[in-house]
Amino acid sequence: MTDVTAVTMKLNGVTRTASAVPPETTLLALLRNQFNLTGAKLGCDVGDCGACTVIVDGNAVNACLMLAAQADGSDVLTIEGLATLERLHPLQKAFEDNASLQCGFCGPGVILSAKALLDENPDPTQQEIRDALSGNLCRCTGYTKMIEAVQVAARALRAKPDA
Amino acid sequence: MPRKTKLADKMQRTLGQAPRSTGELARVPPVTLPVAYPIEALVPQVRLQTPAVGQRATRPDGRLHGLGQTRYIDDLAFPGMLYAKIKRAGIAAARILSIDTSEADAMPGVLAVLTGREIPVNSFGPSLQDQPVLADTQVRHAGDGVAAVAALTEQIAEAAIEKIKVDYEPLPAVFDPLEALREDAPKVHAPAGNVYATKVIRKGDVDAAFARADHVFEGRYATQMVEHVPLEPHAAIAMWDPNGRVTIHSTLGRITLGRSDVSRTLKLPMNRVRIVATIVGGNFGGKNEITQEPVLALLSKKTGRPVKGVFTRGEEFTSTTTRHPFVMDYKTGVTKDGRIIARKVRLVLDGGAYCSWSETTLGKACILSAGPYRIDNLRVEAYVVYTNKTMTGAMRGFGAPQVCFAYESQMDEIAAALHMDPLEIRLLNAFEEGAASPTGQVLHSVVLKASLLKAAERFGWKEPRS
Repeated sequence: MTDVTAVTMKLNGVTRTASAVPPETTLLALLRNQFNLTGAKLGCDVGDCGACTVIVDGNAVNACLMLAAQADGSDVLTIEGLATLERLHPLQKAFEDNASLQCGFCGPGVILSAKALLDENPDPTQQEIRDALSGNLCRCTGYTKMIEAVQVAARALRAKPDA
Repeated sequence: MPRKTKLADKMQRTLGQAPRSTGELARVPPVTLPVAYPIEALVPQVRLQTPAVGQRATRPDGRLHGLGQTRYIDDLAFPGMLYAKIKRAGIAAARILSIDTSEADAMPGVLAVLTGREIPVNSFGPSLQDQPVLADTQVRHAGDGVAAVAALTEQIAEAAIEKIKVDYEPLPAVFDPLEALREDAPKVHAPAGNVYATKVIRKGDVDAAFARADHVFEGRYATQMVEHVPLEPHAAIAMWDPNGRVTIHSTLGRITLGRSDVSRTLKLPMNRVRIVATIVGGNFGGKNEITQEPVLALLSKKTGRPVKGVFTRGEEFTSTTTRHPFVMDYKTGVTKDGRIIARKVRLVLDGGAYCSWSETTLGKACILSAGPYRIDNLRVEAYVVYTNKTMTGAMRGFGAPQVCFAYESQMDEIAAALHMDPLEIRLLNAFEEGAASPTGQVLHSVVLKASLLKAAERFGWKEPRS
């Protein structure tokens, strides 16, 4: 419990180091408490709800189940790294336009799961979208509007891949 | 993919690329990166147009949600903030003989410990004030809090509540609502009986109508306990200031009620209590009353520091309100052509250990228990009883879904027995314009039959089913 370790990662495109990370720290705790990136949420703390989803080296992962030290040397993308000063990411825009989120607590995780899917598969079927979002629970809105938004965003990204 | 973000480029230059010495890097505090997002005036089309009906609307908070910029309670932090944890009883019914907090109190990093005896008025509830903030003399369900600590980190707080020793004398417990009705059942709030609210509706002459019914159907229907499971657990931050005022940031959905409950439990004039609410990460009725707010406030008063408490997912299930399980007995008299002429309903609501919103649920369930059907002779009796389980309270519908399950299940059984189409029997009995509800309310704008017919047409009710 007493040893601390340094964790260096590429975080939303910028190399960052947390110098004194206790070994039991999860990636989620590191992001939220050390880097103040509170977009990833603590919903269940056991990997069921997906509210903590971030993208590590291209894969959507539950940040509550990954130790911070395991992310050392990785490329980590959180919801805060998705938009630019110029524009929202097409997924963020589609989720807004389609009113896909109600309370919004699951939103960052859902959007990042969808991003990991679209990076791999630019033209997913509805079933493939359902499968990709199966690790993200929502209790308010239902999933229909989220799936529609992912389809809208996929079309937008295929039309303008660098958007 | 290179992001065209000047802000990130600047951060990369400032923080990221090959520091001239490791000492320089070490001087950079592990603070947040700037978050990039376009800032532009958001004027939805719907707010530019009159009338708005027919225009496309977006949610005013939709963009923040998608950017991860919505600040829920657990996303807030204040300087010097401590973390609280509540020790749960883990036993359904017991007398508390003693609580020894000395070992927890002595732990490095623990700044305060609190028990129920220190709470000025240790009871709350929206109709009956029967729930302690922290159980002090008696535990009535396993999720009851018995003590709390405030510590520098969540880990220390978690370890500290393990060090608190509570000596219990176990008491007989009751878990089934029908058993709880019996005279000889263990009394959850002794010496009072377990039935804590009843409601009766009488309309017409039920016995005479049953006597002339062609068929009488009887059935028992039961529903289970349901937790709201909002994705965001209950969370709050309390700050007691040197002026004797307390500010509480909370996930409460009903802040005015919360404010009066906090004022009552802390014995503090209402004008010294400030509740700050923000976007709630899912409520569904489960965040309608206070939980840990007075505990956090008193821990803040003891320590002079802001105190945050966030329930674990486990606590969400054991220590926050749930949906009432119902046991529903339906007896229905029907003519041979399928018209309902008499109905007797008995509802037993499992109230759990404390009242919470049970009276509201009881009332609504009773009024709706006959269904949207014209029944001239009706008798409804309903009871809500204490059991040694997690308390039940508000949840979407306040009892309406439970009774709907019963009356619609029985409707299908009647239709099957009479060889009638389930749609036809509903159309035959459905409310029409100007019909009276079981409590005599005259109903207007009744479009039940039209809705049923439209729905049947839309999903192909008449088509053969495989």
